[in-house]
Amino acid sequence: MDQIRRVIIALAAVLVWALVPNAVQAEEHELVITHMEIAETNIRPKVGDTVKFINQADIAHNLYLTYEDGTVQNLDTQFPGMSKTAKIERSGKVVVRCWIHPVIRMEFDAADAD
Amino acid sequence: MIRRGAQMSLSLAAIAFAAVSGLAEAGGITISTAAGDKIITLEALKERYERPDAIPFPNNNPYTEDKEKLGKKLFFDPRLSRSQIVSCATCHNPSLGWSDGLPKGVGHGMEPLERRSPPVLNLAWALSLMWDGRAHSLEQQALMPITAPQEMNMTMDDVVDRLRMVPGYRELFSEAFGETDSINAKNIVAALATYERTLVSHKAPFDLWVEGDEDAISAEAKRGFVTFNTKARCSACHAGWRFTDDSFHNIGLETDDVGRGKFTPPSVAIMKYAFKTPSLRDLRMQGPYMHDGSMADLDEVLEHYVKGGRKSPNLSPEMRPVKLSKTEQSDLIAFLETLRGPSVKPQLPDLP
Repeated sequence: MDQIRRVIIALAAVLVWALVPNAVQAEEHELVITHMEIAETNIRPKVGDTVKFINQADIAHNLYLTYEDGTVQNLDTQFPGMSKTAKIERSGKVVVRCWIHPVIRMEFDAADAD
Repeated sequence: MIRRGAQMSLSLAAIAFAAVSGLAEAGGITISTAAGDKIITLEALKERYERPDAIPFPNNNPYTEDKEKLGKKLFFDPRLSRSQIVSCATCHNPSLGWSDGLPKGVGHGMEPLERRSPPVLNLAWALSLMWDGRAHSLEQQALMPITAPQEMNMTMDDVVDRLRMVPGYRELFSEAFGETDSINAKNIVAALATYERTLVSHKAPFDLWVEGDEDAISAEAKRGFVTFNTKARCSACHAGWRFTDDSFHNIGLETDDVGRGKFTPPSVAIMKYAFKTPSLRDLRMQGPYMHDGSMADLDEVLEHYVKGGRKSPNLSPEMRPVKLSKTEQSDLIAFLETLRGPSVKPQLPDLP
């Protein structure tokens, strides 16, 4: 019985994924921090996507994202070799900065979710 | 960007030995990164400290000679303070390394201030100003001590009124800004900022060594440079030609001053008790040191870094205890001495 129930649930999940147009899978975008800069990239994530920041510098960072409405998303301290992930919450211009190192600054545009 | 030298075939151990034994020129220098140890040549490491060719001036306040001339007079003019006895140069005295030589500054009414007066050299390149980074430009910064009640204790309206009554200033402002009635707060700080941007350290022996003069600094200083960039990890914060990353670190001092933490959300624990990394160029070797002047000499400073600072949840991740021998410590001090160039001493202006 358990096996049949599991198969039904799996089939239902596949059906929902296939039939519901808005059930788009979130993407993950990667950005690399090298010393005091975030490697240039042209990411254009959508709301709900994630952006993964990989610290390849030999120093710690503490990145934060600021949305157009002023909302701040803090990623906490990120030691060398550590990755931190931000889920994009709002569309529009997003500014990424570091609390420790004000020289770090990058921007990308986030699109509305499909 | 880390550059790999041509000596990659040398074993890491051999290279590390070469670096710490002062033979770095013959091999490479081992730098720790997130991806593991990397090796760079000494020449590549020196390139990180090359001086820039020109002073940057912002588009909204471009350089003119007249503006610099006016800014210099304002910088040395005590009439910018309520008491008329305190000028910018009182706390940023060229004869005292553009600071005041005191553990903490002295403000209006001879009352002690909370922090040491930072030197004002090489600020044209600074990304944030003040120990807590609350000013983002020299124009913004120039306004702060003038109008702080505990410092020069003026309002800009009062400064403008006072300067208008001084014969000679009207003409100086006209020459600098090309308007008939140009004595105003915006132009006062623009002139001050322009003058401050021209205050740049002269070439030091270290710069000559970076340029290729092997005799410019001693063997001890060369070893100190390698230790500075490797084992001691001073360069994690004291980076680039100004020897500062313009960033904020809690280095584990005993202090009630939250520093940068006043301007960051409470959740950003790492910024509590954090202060801006000071430049090491033209360091007054006789101290005092730290944002609060709490350390009297460089031996005390090095001892602090050897121990790694007071442990706390807010301590910078760059602060880790490090074992440095007495020779390594004296090499570091020998290196720091090579960052001192001829004094930047202006001819004092005649005030109108």
